[in-house]
Amino acid sequence: MATSFKIDLRHGMVVTGKWKNGRYRIERLLGEGANGKVYLVQRDRNWFALKVGSDAIDLQSEINVLQSIAKQKRQGHEPFLFDVDDLYGPDGREYPFYIMRYVLGSTLADYLKKQGAEWFPLVGLNLLGKLAKLHHAGWVFGDLKVENVLVADYGHVELVDYGGVTAVGKSIRQFTEIYDRGYWNGGSRSADAKYDLFSFGVLCIQLYEAKRLHQLTKELLPQNRSAAELIQIAEESPVLRPVAGWLRKAFDGQFTDAGDAAEAWRMLMHRRDTHRTSATPAWLKGLVATSAVLLATTVFWLLRNVL
Amino acid sequence: MKQILLITDGCSNVGMSPVVAAAHAKSEGISVNVVGVLDYGDVGELGATEIDEIARAGGGLSRLVNMRQLSQTVQMMTRKTVVQTIQLAVQKELKQVLGNGSIEALPPDKRGDVVRVIDELGETSHLQVALLIDASASMKPKLAAVEEAIRDLMLSLQARQGKSEISVFHFPGSKHGDDCVMDLGWTSHLNGVQAIFPRLQMGGTTPTGPAIMQVIDFYRQGDYGRQSRDETDGMMSGYVV
Repeated sequence: MATSFKIDLRHGMVVTGKWKNGRYRIERLLGEGANGKVYLVQRDRNWFALKVGSDAIDLQSEINVLQSIAKQKRQGHEPFLFDVDDLYGPDGREYPFYIMRYVLGSTLADYLKKQGAEWFPLVGLNLLGKLAKLHHAGWVFGDLKVENVLVADYGHVELVDYGGVTAVGKSIRQFTEIYDRGYWNGGSRSADAKYDLFSFGVLCIQLYEAKRLHQLTKELLPQNRSAAELIQIAEESPVLRPVAGWLRKAFDGQFTDAGDAAEAWRMLMHRRDTHRTSATPAWLKGLVATSAVLLATTVFWLLRNVL
Repeated sequence: MKQILLITDGCSNVGMSPVVAAAHAKSEGISVNVVGVLDYGDVGELGATEIDEIARAGGGLSRLVNMRQLSQTVQMMTRKTVVQTIQLAVQKELKQVLGNGSIEALPPDKRGDVVRVIDELGETSHLQVALLIDASASMKPKLAAVEEAIRDLMLSLQARQGKSEISVFHFPGSKHGDDCVMDLGWTSHLNGVQAIFPRLQMGGTTPTGPAIMQVIDFYRQGDYGRQSRDETDGMMSGYVV
């Protein structure tokens, strides 16, 4: 919730952990989530991301999830939770914080705008892969939205803001209305893999048809919101039309999990029309038109002779 | 866990102070949350202060929101208050064990275990939310949004692992001077409920305080069972059933 969140850390400030005395120099604000603010910080010439919250319970709850996930990832993964502590804010109050790996990247929307829509199928696949890993470990991301996906070079994807991550079977801890399955009358708010896939579908539409999506939320009566409306937008969108069938399945909950969904997405990518590079050349169109005219003339002559 | 969620757009003007009523609720173990709904202007300084004070007295939260934010606010407030209620109970226990009640005073690694318990209880404990809706004339155009928020809340509560129930009341009751009327008794789903507020007669007064008292009474009757309902000289049964 938009709690009155007053802590404001400035460039150059140094914060010190109350319990473990870790010292971090603040570089700049990276973003703001529901539970707190995220800053880029430096410690011993290394860059980290620092998330500071206003509510110790909320933030600790998020840390618990991160720690459980970290335990499951035994090998082959660099750690992403480095430190958990409290700091004294400029106002003298104590604030809880944690330190995680800094992910260099741009937000999903920015990346696709800069690098072009041809990256969309691959980035989508990588994002589904990330979700599949999470689902496999028994978690649902929950608050999947454009702002929570960072993309680094060559379409490498990272999820940020784990405040919504929920164990399968419990109620989704944090969500954003337009990405929410319940908001679209598409099912419950219980955490299951299909919940994330629904949000993934909305995210695709948000990327390329944000205006129409926004319009829909304004115009539709709550009881008339449905996945069918979302699918219609996808079918009328040049970029999304190739994946409209996939989106329909995601909205209807037909994929068992993100792994299954990723496999279906991969199949789409290898179809030619997904990439939309094979527009018919003009000369071919001309040829078709000419032969049609010739055929018509022949038929006309034949008929005239018969009669 | 018991909550009252008051949705209003202005100041009470009849009867007992809603702040006193909310303090009564708190003493009965019921948290009172208040949402002030704005349309174009605002609820006025007086209204804003009252909304804030009712929530303080009732041990709950207060927010001023516009209609588009109503569903999300109601849902998150309810969730936050659940955590808060459990947190208070856990802190009481902690005080006995550690001599220090505050969770923040624990080192971060110990905090994790306590928060795990809070989260688990928040997800699984029995939760009742009585929604109390201000249906005075100025609220009329907002009732559709309120109804939508109630349905949305039900959807969120249904996803919990524990039992969740809501009930809905509106005030003022009628010209005959009832303080509030029950629209919906305890229920854990809204399937088949066509309209929560079928035909409301919009009254001119805003008896927020007396309405809160009546909802507290409703909670009490639920606790003591049917027997005590007969004892209340038939006054409640008229509009509770």
